[in-house]
Amino acid sequence: MAKITLDIFRFDEATDAVPHRDAVVVDVPETTTVLDALETAKAEIDGSISFRRSCRSAICGSCSMNINGITGLACKTPCNTVMDEKGVVVVDPMPNFQPMKDLVVHMDPFWDKYSRLKPYLQPADADSTHERERRVSPEDMKKLVDVANCIMCATCYALCPVVSVDPAFAGPAAIAYAYRFIEDVRDGQRKERIAQISEDYLWLCAHCYACSYCPKHVDPHDRIIDVKRASIKDRVLMNERGPRHALVVSKTIKQTGMLAETEVIQGTIGRFNVRGLLKVAPLGLRMAAKGKMPPPFVKPIPKVDEVRTIFEALEVPVS
Amino acid sequence: MSTTLLPEDLPLDAHTRTRSAQTKRYGFFPGCVAKESCKELFNSTMLLADKLGIELIELTAASCCGASVVNDVNRDVARVLNARTYAQAEALGLDDVITICSTCTGHMRAANKELRESEARMDHANAILGKFGAKYQGTVTVRHLLWLLIDDIGLDNLRSMVVHPLNGLKVAPFYGCHIIRPESVNGWESARNPHSLEDVIEAIGGEAVDYAGKTRCCGFHIQLEKDNVATDMVGQNMRMAKERGAEAVITPCPLCHLALDGYQADSAARWGRTDLPTFHLPQLVAFALGVPPDKLGLNKHLIDPRDVLVDRDLIA
Repeated sequence: MAKITLDIFRFDEATDAVPHRDAVVVDVPETTTVLDALETAKAEIDGSISFRRSCRSAICGSCSMNINGITGLACKTPCNTVMDEKGVVVVDPMPNFQPMKDLVVHMDPFWDKYSRLKPYLQPADADSTHERERRVSPEDMKKLVDVANCIMCATCYALCPVVSVDPAFAGPAAIAYAYRFIEDVRDGQRKERIAQISEDYLWLCAHCYACSYCPKHVDPHDRIIDVKRASIKDRVLMNERGPRHALVVSKTIKQTGMLAETEVIQGTIGRFNVRGLLKVAPLGLRMAAKGKMPPPFVKPIPKVDEVRTIFEALEVPVS
Repeated sequence: MSTTLLPEDLPLDAHTRTRSAQTKRYGFFPGCVAKESCKELFNSTMLLADKLGIELIELTAASCCGASVVNDVNRDVARVLNARTYAQAEALGLDDVITICSTCTGHMRAANKELRESEARMDHANAILGKFGAKYQGTVTVRHLLWLLIDDIGLDNLRSMVVHPLNGLKVAPFYGCHIIRPESVNGWESARNPHSLEDVIEAIGGEAVDYAGKTRCCGFHIQLEKDNVATDMVGQNMRMAKERGAEAVITPCPLCHLALDGYQADSAARWGRTDLPTFHLPQLVAFALGVPPDKLGLNKHLIDPRDVLVDRDLIA
């Protein structure tokens, strides 16, 4: 047995103007999960400590919280993997959410983004009478099983740095779940779904891989890339900056072997988008004043034909 | 002296004849940004290599790594482009490819992992490389200069080479996502609690500042996507560093550098003025090792890092 100190964020939106912290000491084996340590604290010391939990085995997705500054499932985190040398475990509510009571947060923005997906199958012939079930081949199903493991714990949403500065971003979980329907052969709303998630800022993903800590290995970062590829393949909302950026990068690499910065900036914003270009002009001028402008044209690398051969063999889109 | 050579310029047996026994040789992949808007990074890397006594052989016919963006249009192209780069390194007899950009590191390592873990993917890449007579055997390892400093030079050795210690300059490390995440691709150190930059800062006489933003994203990849988002990400991170007492920032990634150096002025409206000068990793290490500061391109930064060096009596 070990004495573990839980340093807990305490706040009740109904009564408190500001949060405070309580240190609660529990006597538990050091391999106890953070969730079980919290349960012990609640049962034996302070019944008012609030947190969400249900299954205790990483299936229900209720108990995600910040543990020593790192977001994850309390039921999947043994105390001895996170506590410091004094046996202290610091627990806080998930970031990117409004706290409600102690470790419980308002999940509404997260669920709102889910419900915008219409997260149910919408077959093209939904109104007709079906004589038999809609069948899916094992290969087609294989693409969906990882994402179907999502338990909607919102760990990825809490970790996302884009959500932290712009709550309009759909967030990793919703985009991964959009993929689950976009790639489902039974669904008839593929283009509409791609358009909806694009409008919820699919292309605002910063490629940071913060969501690679998914406790269920859904790998939202990879599914985000899959949805972007689907959007380019189906040519949905191609005039937005995201797809234009991806395609102009692809184009400059094919032409020169290099990512040609100047052309990428112009191609993403739009060569004739005067207002857009004026917005980036001040930074451009500050860089120019320091002699730091990227060259207007990039000289192709030696043997650039080899790069073009690769692009052609793979039929890589460049526009 | 570090050199730039094309594979065909250097027959395989030439290396053994021309290099001295002590000089370690590495393939060098500078990446696009160090050749375009951050030339000061390229130059200071070469000057640092001379001080370290290593030879960086630039792979001048190498292409862009894909920059995380070409993945969005095609799942195979980055892997095959990088296989071509590795084939060039192998043709020069080099199994180490050293990068100076976090994004290059992560994406080149991801491509290499995909190739080395699957015969089918390797065969697929080599079928395309075969069209121009190249082949990748799978012998290359991609590492960042930061890891080379610690693994090959060694922190004690680095410490002994310092001639201008930083006098306790408070430096905030900023890793850049792709040198640490995903851990399955990088895995050189913990992505959640890395300390390689801190170790280097301390070895050259600085004091490392701990702050939550050090492993967060700079927003560079979405700077053109929607107004203010990347700027806010920079402001948020630099605010955290400033509140922990940082006087300067160091980053192993030129994309992070462009964001941190470029957007702090615009982030002030929401996050307050931070004005933290941002050093490229090789700039600050080269300075500590005695490279004259006027050769490091410090005048190219938007937030001039020379002021903080003057404040600390490090330069006149």
